[in-house]
Amino acid sequence: MRRKSLFVIVTMLAVLIASVPAALAQTDCKTVVPPSPWGPNDQTGATNRVTPAVTKAAAAEIRDGKVVVMSYPLTDGIPLFGTRFTKTILTATTLAPGGALGENQLTYMEDTWLSQSHVGTHLDGLGHIGRKDCYFNQTPMGKFITQNNMTKLGLENLKSFATRGVLVDMVKVYQAANKFKGNSACKRPCLEKGTVITKADLEAGLKMYNVTLREGDILIIHTGWGNLFEQYPAQNATYNSGEPGIGKEAANWLVTQKIVAVGTDNWGVEVIPGEDPKEAFIVHNILLTDAGIHIIENVRTDLMAAEADQTKRSTFFFSMTVPKAVGLTGNFVAIEGIR
Amino acid sequence: MARASRTPALPMGRRRFFLRIAPASILLLSQLAGLAFVAVAQERRYTVAFANLTEEPGKTLEGTGFTGREVRESFVLAARRYPIDLVFYDNQREPAKALANAEDAVGRKVNLYIQYFDDAATNVKVGQRLRAAGIGVFAINTPVPEAPLYTIDNRAAGRIAGEALSEYGAKNWRGQPTIGVVIGNLRAQEYRVPDRAQGATEGLKRHLPAIKIVALETQGNPAQVGPLLAKVLASHPATKVLVAAMDDTSALAAKGALESAGRLSDGAIVGQGVDRSVHGGMNDKKEIDPSNRGSIVVGSVAFYLDRYGYEVLPLAMRMLRGETVAPRTVTPHRLITAANVFIEYPPYDMN
Repeated sequence: MRRKSLFVIVTMLAVLIASVPAALAQTDCKTVVPPSPWGPNDQTGATNRVTPAVTKAAAAEIRDGKVVVMSYPLTDGIPLFGTRFTKTILTATTLAPGGALGENQLTYMEDTWLSQSHVGTHLDGLGHIGRKDCYFNQTPMGKFITQNNMTKLGLENLKSFATRGVLVDMVKVYQAANKFKGNSACKRPCLEKGTVITKADLEAGLKMYNVTLREGDILIIHTGWGNLFEQYPAQNATYNSGEPGIGKEAANWLVTQKIVAVGTDNWGVEVIPGEDPKEAFIVHNILLTDAGIHIIENVRTDLMAAEADQTKRSTFFFSMTVPKAVGLTGNFVAIEGIR
Repeated sequence: MARASRTPALPMGRRRFFLRIAPASILLLSQLAGLAFVAVAQERRYTVAFANLTEEPGKTLEGTGFTGREVRESFVLAARRYPIDLVFYDNQREPAKALANAEDAVGRKVNLYIQYFDDAATNVKVGQRLRAAGIGVFAINTPVPEAPLYTIDNRAAGRIAGEALSEYGAKNWRGQPTIGVVIGNLRAQEYRVPDRAQGATEGLKRHLPAIKIVALETQGNPAQVGPLLAKVLASHPATKVLVAAMDDTSALAAKGALESAGRLSDGAIVGQGVDRSVHGGMNDKKEIDPSNRGSIVVGSVAFYLDRYGYEVLPLAMRMLRGETVAPRTVTPHRLITAANVFIEYPPYDMN
């Protein structure tokens, strides 16, 4: 009897010791990041909300077929930070005398595009931002990275972004509320960097066009700051020096609205400098890490803002291409708003 | 009898009239009450004046590398959290200007005046004038009588640096000849650098009680750091040197001097301030950086002048709400190293 008890105790201890490393990793991320509402194996995040019904409803936004460009040119010289770079190299060897192929004198050209993925109008994927080594859905990312890419939470896991886009024009909201402070470097009205866009501001922007957010929407915020991007490379330093953007309260509210993504005409969506100087990109944590809601940066919003102002309608069909880039944390995208 | 004690009945016509307007009156009153509640719930806005020590471009404050512009900017950013409208003044380090600024604030009927001025006698007059006008006062770094004070603790900051160096020496160079050097604008009483130097001296002795300490006076000229330190290095060959620099510029100059003497492996340096000359961002690399852990500039003690707004405005709000504020609040000086610089100063040059 005593021998049997001893055996049981030793076995239990062995099981406990063996399970400690895995349990620790799991426990850590479970205390750091909330679970995905779509289950423990979810790597898709908020695009789970883009159901056929959501896409069908969004299609009703296409009324006259007008397409509004919502991405900036992808080219060398656009605003980048520090040592980041883009470099395009054209290969055109067959254009040289004698280089054409066959009797039909076929020539061809192709490009080499060297760049980081978070450049220009781009999408932040679920593997872009974490807390410590914990990412969306309590993923202990240290276990899922190689020298080349991630083996979990890559862009290939995302579903469609074919949903309704809703624009809020913060320039108009701030002007209407008589609290607009601009930046003289902007050639069109823009909010000053450091301006905290609040929940009340977003609600005022929605009310301006009599819209309420619905599950599966993508919210696009026009701050005017993107005008500095348009002036590349002249205003790159000013553009990167900070930005108007949403604060923590607004981000938390957007999570409750069950949207799919937030896009802005600035480089980080959130207000910079942030509300608390000791916090780093906290809105990224709130949206991406905790809620799986994507962030789209450097979105061209001025054309849609003008369209909304003219037609008094701020909704559109959101058309965006995200490559199935395996294991990537983000990628440049092309966006069109179809009306 | 009972009937007689009642209020006389209203004539039928009036009665009908009151019956008709009663619901409307009740509705109106309840709406007014609601409006009053909203007014109470929406906190009132306050006008707060901040009179900066100086905003002259390039002029640094408190014997650190921070400028008045950085102090002012921190107030602008911190005010975003509060129902505060800021009015800015520049005291220009001139008593007459400081008094004129206070007078202007009285005219504007500000709710609170934050005085950052380094002349105690002027601060007495400023305090008297504002109090006479019923305006609360908050002081930064130099007291205003009867006003709460937010202040640097130079001696504590110096001690943090000295202790860090002492610990470094005891840990890495035990048994080897080691001297301490305290270098900078040591006699700058206006910046209370003597307190800083005293703290550094005390700290250096914490783990190395017998250490010899050399004081090198630069008179505020960082170009003097090189020649002064070179002499000490030449006269102390095969000796380890723990350098407590009184500011970050001197810390970087001390590193240059050790490098020029071919003595990098003999030195460890701690600066004071943690301004932008020593810490940067993800791409804007500076001396104190996570990727530069081997630097002989072990760290620098934070003075946070670029966060004064974040430190002071919460206290100001408490004053405005009639809550108690401690008479003296001290800057939470901290040693910033390659290991914690990005936690303390998160960079945002990425996206």
